[in-house]
Amino acid sequence: MLLGIDVGGTHTDAVIIDRKGVAATAKVETDHSNLISSLDGVLEKILNSGPDRAISKINLSTTLTTNAIIENELEEVGVLAVSGPGLAEDYFNRDLGEHFHLLEGSIDHRGTQRLALDEAAAKNAVAHCQNRKLKVFAVVSKFSPRNPEIEQTLADLVSSQSDFTTIGHRISGRLNFPRRLATAYYNAAVWRHFNTFADAITQSLKKHNLNAPLNILKADGGTINFKSSRNNPIQTILSGPAASVMGIIALSSITEDAIILDIGGTTTDIAIFANGAPLLEKEGISFGGRPTSVRAIDTHSIGIGGDSVITINPDGKVLVGPLRIGPPMAHSGPQPTLIDACNVKGLCNLGDIDKSFSGLKKLAEQNQLTIEKLADETLNVALKAIQLEATKLLDSINQRPVYTVEEVMHGEKIIPQRLYVMGGPAAILAPLLGQTFDLETEVPENYAVANAIGAALTRTTMEIELFADTGKKTMFIPNLNIKRKVSSSYSLNEAQNDGVGEMVKYLKENNHPEIEHEDVSVVEAESFNMVDDYSVGSKTIRVSCQIRPGLEKDYLEGVK
Amino acid sequence: MKNIRNLGVIFFPAYDWAISPTHPEREERLLYTQDQLREEGVFDLPNITEYKPEIATYADIERIHFCFPGPREVSTESHLVAAGGAIKAARLVMEKEVDRAFALVRPPGHHAMKVVHGNRGFCNINNEAVLIEFIREHYGNKRVAIVDTDCHHGDGTQDIYWHDPNILFISLHQDGRTLYPGTGFSEELGGPTARGRTINIPLPPNTSDEGFLYVIDNLIQPIIDDFKPDVIINSAGQDNHYGDPITNMNFSAQGYARLNEKLNPDIAVLEGGYSIQGALPYVNLGIVLAMAGLDYSQVREPDYNPESLRQSPQITEYIEKLCALTMKNYLKPPPLNVKPNQYDTRSKSVYYDTDGINDQQLEQIMVCTSCSGVRHLTSKTHRNSSCMGIEIPIDACKRCRDEGYRLLDEGRRNFKGTTIKFINRLEQEYQTVNEFELTPMGRYYF
Repeated sequence: MLLGIDVGGTHTDAVIIDRKGVAATAKVETDHSNLISSLDGVLEKILNSGPDRAISKINLSTTLTTNAIIENELEEVGVLAVSGPGLAEDYFNRDLGEHFHLLEGSIDHRGTQRLALDEAAAKNAVAHCQNRKLKVFAVVSKFSPRNPEIEQTLADLVSSQSDFTTIGHRISGRLNFPRRLATAYYNAAVWRHFNTFADAITQSLKKHNLNAPLNILKADGGTINFKSSRNNPIQTILSGPAASVMGIIALSSITEDAIILDIGGTTTDIAIFANGAPLLEKEGISFGGRPTSVRAIDTHSIGIGGDSVITINPDGKVLVGPLRIGPPMAHSGPQPTLIDACNVKGLCNLGDIDKSFSGLKKLAEQNQLTIEKLADETLNVALKAIQLEATKLLDSINQRPVYTVEEVMHGEKIIPQRLYVMGGPAAILAPLLGQTFDLETEVPENYAVANAIGAALTRTTMEIELFADTGKKTMFIPNLNIKRKVSSSYSLNEAQNDGVGEMVKYLKENNHPEIEHEDVSVVEAESFNMVDDYSVGSKTIRVSCQIRPGLEKDYLEGVK
Repeated sequence: MKNIRNLGVIFFPAYDWAISPTHPEREERLLYTQDQLREEGVFDLPNITEYKPEIATYADIERIHFCFPGPREVSTESHLVAAGGAIKAARLVMEKEVDRAFALVRPPGHHAMKVVHGNRGFCNINNEAVLIEFIREHYGNKRVAIVDTDCHHGDGTQDIYWHDPNILFISLHQDGRTLYPGTGFSEELGGPTARGRTINIPLPPNTSDEGFLYVIDNLIQPIIDDFKPDVIINSAGQDNHYGDPITNMNFSAQGYARLNEKLNPDIAVLEGGYSIQGALPYVNLGIVLAMAGLDYSQVREPDYNPESLRQSPQITEYIEKLCALTMKNYLKPPPLNVKPNQYDTRSKSVYYDTDGINDQQLEQIMVCTSCSGVRHLTSKTHRNSSCMGIEIPIDACKRCRDEGYRLLDEGRRNFKGTTIKFINRLEQEYQTVNEFELTPMGRYYF
């Protein structure tokens, strides 16, 4: 049986799923000052809700890292950066703390070292950090996914005084120095906090006699095993929306291009699916004003939800949200909301309907409107705004740049065939949303705990990049730190096999014996001839492999 | 921080298109530029956005080129995407979605002339001309200045706008006596109705940053100030770079960035440049930052050594004289020996180096005193035998407009060639007359 836990912003949810479906659910309020007590509480509740159950896997989604960053509980980090020529420091040092040291040295796009690291300056910087008693470090050089030498030297220099060092190329094999830098900084800054929490999780599970393997959810709709998460805590940020999206896949049978709406109290989250799979953001999450290389399911959020207040601006225009001041008036809230308008329209019958009527009536009369007109306009504005935001997201995905003639001329576009609506007000708004979008609409059952179901069923994801240069006879997989000599005839085919093979090997050695070669997709494979003096010399080969977000198939049937 | 502007970059490297596997115009050309732009994270900067190119239509091409036998035969899908990238740049700027746009696209286009039979100088379709006519079609008859900073003379663009007084074409390039295509001399100043609207600045080999920037400050800037264009386009070749394998100049990434900062073009369109590892990643980054008004002071090639690239005093002196002469030519171009309101004729021989085509052209322009003049040409190659092109210009007077239709009518009745292309820019009417339509009986008898 699988145990899924989502420590969310408001509630902590847990589900136990067996092959027949959801066996148990539990919900407690989240105590932000003590997340472990929320975890303890929900475990207590769900484990005591029935007979003893044999839990074979535990998946946990937590806001811990997210909160640590938002609440600025960040440890001071010694940042050693090597940029070489290019953008000036202002553009990549996005306020990365007081101990940011930019050092001389340079690696070019082919991974050739063009200027050696200024080791004397590096040692000075390290000494400075020692004086300040810094214990965590981030070391990042430009083009380290092509050549990690400078980063490795820096890591060695700080090793004697560092409790933990984040090395740039281990974070991501994709090219983007400022993102790598920000991500490495955050990873080091939350490391201690996360590991203290991780120790407490271990204690809590022990207390409840749970010894199944534990995985932590990521924002890309996948998991990372607990042990790896201790060195990559940044991978666990913003996993909540991903858990919900994975939940909706579990609860419905999405196989086509589709739009997913998750309507909450304050916001509606929008995601786009292509052929039944959620799309990831092109680069990564932006967090605290800094773009990072942490991959995430591409979702847009709009400030319209069931509790969004209705206001009328001086021009007489009806506005819905983005404010939430309290619950709907039907539930004794202070101001009329979208849900109150639904009550008035007879779309639902929630709480004290009379209060909805009197609230809307008052606002309508103040603005020389009929109550009917105000309710209609409220729904119209809310639905149109959600549709506009979804269209924007869809356009931005369909307008993503591509780099071959074939893709520009004949590339496939995403054309949504169906609308999936989840969240509290889903059932109420789904028919109207279907009309607005002109799409068939589905509201999955059980959506109230979709996030925890998503957490329980989510499988691991991973992404690696492979870069080979047959002129230099090297092959390098940055995130796995695998660097090997290859022959000058090394081919694209061999590179693909190596990428897939190394990824499977790594996962099998790290708590994922279930991962096989067919779980890995090669998402990019390019080989370019490098021409010297007008003759074809060597090749530059780039391969990108990915385990896409997916769910435990053995348990899916029961859940649906 | 300097004068920050919103920049749109249309990056299209055409990773599946090459003239041949080892040709300088091959798949790999913009690969390292993309690596550099990605690693620098330029598309995460709040004022720089990457866009997908549009796809140009054959109508976009036939608005400006006489393609024989037709646009389908002389272009590939890659040309439609590159020209579509230039169109996207124009649309973004004209609709004020961005302040500036850089079409970082291939294949290039500035050697493609008015008449197109195939590929010459790596070019089939003139991306800048497609862009300019797109602007004039959709946003009014704008005055445009094109500054061609490619190392090779922009002979295609020059040929297209030779007779158009509303388009200022300035090319600075390595002296034609030392480099393909062997044209672009000071005395090439435009046709009789557009005298002084073509400006050529043939620079001596080994000109460095100092020389290029002197030309910008002391010649090009004053000319542009005088011409007062609505739109400035940089036809941005990057082969003046000291590392370029097929040219002999000493320009640097810093120089290119400075040039673009000074010139401040609304739109830049990539042309040549074949030092794909040593120069392009840095030059393109420098241009992107300069156009966006960001700090480019740290952008330099790993092997950059300004001391070793310094130009000789002789070159400096030569360039100063050249600028003085050229300024005089712009302000008071030597008059041509032509009669007003009669046809002036020029004949030329065009060689398509890539496709091995020899084209013999005879071109007539009406020396009109009230418009750019109707243009009438015949073009003869072994491939398409004899072809005819007639163009009524965008600012045509009634006489030249009627004359264009008269020429078409006469061509229909008497032309012994294969194809007539007819462009009426005034009223946006375009016609192709094929050989079987040329005589009432048809050409072939069975």
